[in-house]
Amino acid sequence: MANNPTNDSAVSMTKWQLNGQEVENHAGMTIMEAAKEHGIEIPCFCYHPGLSIAGNCRICMVESNRSHKPVISCSERIAEGLEIETDSEVAVDARNSVMEFQLINHPLDCPVCDKSGECVLQDHSYAHGPDRSRFVEDKNIRHTKELGPDISIWGNRCIVCTRCVRFCDEISGTSELCIVERGDRSVVDVFPEIPIDNQLAGNTVDICPVGALISHDFKYEARVWNMDRIDSVCGGCSRGCNIEVETLDGFVKRLIPRENLDVNDWWMCDEGRYGWRHLYADDRITQATRDGAEQTDSAATDALEELLSESGPVAFLIDPFLTCEELHLVQGLAASRPGSKVGGWLPADGTAASFPSGFQISAAKYPNRSGAEQVFGDQVFGDDAKQLQKSLLSNGFDTVIAFCGGHQSTGPGDSWTQALANTATRIVFSVMNGPWLEGASLVLPATAPIEKEGTWINEDGRLQRTRSCWNPGTDPFAVELVRLQALQHALGLRGRSLSAAGVFRELAAANTAFSGHNHSDLGSPGLLLSERPAAVASDGGTE
Amino acid sequence: MANTLSFSSETMKQYEWLLTRYPTRRAVLLPTLRLAESEFGELGVPEMRFVADLMEIPPAFVFGVVTFYTHYRRAGTGKYNIQVCSTLSCALRGSEDVVSRITERLGIGPGETTPCGQFSLSKVECLGSCDTAPMLQCNDDYHEDLTLEDVDQLIEQLRAEADGGQNG
Repeated sequence: MANNPTNDSAVSMTKWQLNGQEVENHAGMTIMEAAKEHGIEIPCFCYHPGLSIAGNCRICMVESNRSHKPVISCSERIAEGLEIETDSEVAVDARNSVMEFQLINHPLDCPVCDKSGECVLQDHSYAHGPDRSRFVEDKNIRHTKELGPDISIWGNRCIVCTRCVRFCDEISGTSELCIVERGDRSVVDVFPEIPIDNQLAGNTVDICPVGALISHDFKYEARVWNMDRIDSVCGGCSRGCNIEVETLDGFVKRLIPRENLDVNDWWMCDEGRYGWRHLYADDRITQATRDGAEQTDSAATDALEELLSESGPVAFLIDPFLTCEELHLVQGLAASRPGSKVGGWLPADGTAASFPSGFQISAAKYPNRSGAEQVFGDQVFGDDAKQLQKSLLSNGFDTVIAFCGGHQSTGPGDSWTQALANTATRIVFSVMNGPWLEGASLVLPATAPIEKEGTWINEDGRLQRTRSCWNPGTDPFAVELVRLQALQHALGLRGRSLSAAGVFRELAAANTAFSGHNHSDLGSPGLLLSERPAAVASDGGTE
Repeated sequence: MANTLSFSSETMKQYEWLLTRYPTRRAVLLPTLRLAESEFGELGVPEMRFVADLMEIPPAFVFGVVTFYTHYRRAGTGKYNIQVCSTLSCALRGSEDVVSRITERLGIGPGETTPCGQFSLSKVECLGSCDTAPMLQCNDDYHEDLTLEDVDQLIEQLRAEADGGQNG
């Protein structure tokens, strides 16, 4: 982990000079991190805040009054009286020379390189590099090969920063990678017949500052500058890792982790990373059907209203993927039909894993169990669910609305499928096709986790915003947030439809557990449900 | 990968002694690789794996260390590993001619091994014997103040040894 002291007020302060200005930072910080606090970004390749300091790339050299040679700012620490120049002739010359060395053997294959556009070497080359090469000898050739089932190395591009090697040593603890050979032949490799195949392996591609490590999943899929990025949350398990979803023309191309030191640091697991292909699978439900006949999207909403307006008490089967906003809308419907019951289903547990860095994968494969329990009470997946199943099996309800969502949904399971089949009017929101839809009166397409707009509460009780990867106006069907509000409107329960933030305001007003929270104050790292945002004007937000 | 290799009890004793001589386990890796090299003759994949398992350090780390250095015998090195010094003193005293003569006699260039697996040839940096340039190292032995006739003689001698070894 980062070797710097945290922002603890007990830590003493150090006065030093940065580019002629007297500045102050916590004692013991590195020059690079201290300078960053004053708005000065020093370039780096091998430095990563989540990894140990290697100090091998040398691009971060700065001029110091304590050394007759430039020093590397990623490992040198600040001290009283230290004077650092980041843009003096000596510093600029040092950087430019390092850049020239880095580019000696680097191929000019940016046009076919997947990293192009988000490549640190490209950026630094533009800012600090020479515009031509003085190197007239032949460039050397290093291996291009598969290192594991999901990752290949393009050796010629490797600048031997060792970020990926340190990641496998320190974060995943699996140590599959090493640097082989020496000097200009050195390159990343694995031990023969021991491929890199750990649950966090995909992160090595993210932290590679160049295009040396390439993900098979993303290879040649998109140019990064053409993609739209949206800050979201992974729905793969109840950790709720912060992610960015990248889409091209509305289609997901890649998920990458987003820094959140309270949840996932800088990482995500491969199960979450590659767990989105089902969005475009053949058995994905995108079309509403009534008694087997295809319906237009608006006709489907009308049918929903028609089925509900005549109904008595309704059974609601919820899933732990629904956002707090969607759950609030379900609760509004349930409250309007006296005698209604709500219960929830949970997908089967997976395998939990924890890693030397503290990164965890939860066995609980759902993102918002806590949210559902806050809205419907502790027993919504416990006794309430048992009772609901029992009364469905004994024909206790004429109408049931079931939510069968999920990341890679295998549906609510056999016992619920059987219980649902016992009800005359069966309305099912579903992401995937499956036996739980057989004989349903009305099948409505449902959003998968990264298509939802709203909030989830992870297993630590952290309330986090997840955003939809759909571009506004391109939704292939009305999302639950819209359809449930349209239904409430048609049933006379609601005046106007609101955004997810608006529905959350209603929830915060109605449920004391959520009171004081609002979307804009959650910011990008989210907040524990138990802690309230600082009292600020709610008009601007803090993002 | 089932590993059938093991150290003899004598080598094991040396290894255990080494463990007491270094501050960290990883620091013992270099001398342990030397032990493995003399025990098994070369450091190929099974040998590196054996050392990694014995020392409880990642195989990839061992692989990185073995490939970093040129003075370990990697798998595929000939029975006679001829390393010709080509740094300054030897270069001035004709090491290039020594290399060409060996190439002529054995039919292999630097970095290559004869098809029979008997000889490997490489050009290496200073072997610390500048006063006796030009020189080469064959396995653990130095051959100094070389003339081209010395080279011919050495090769004849090694060939005879190799044949004797094969026949006997």
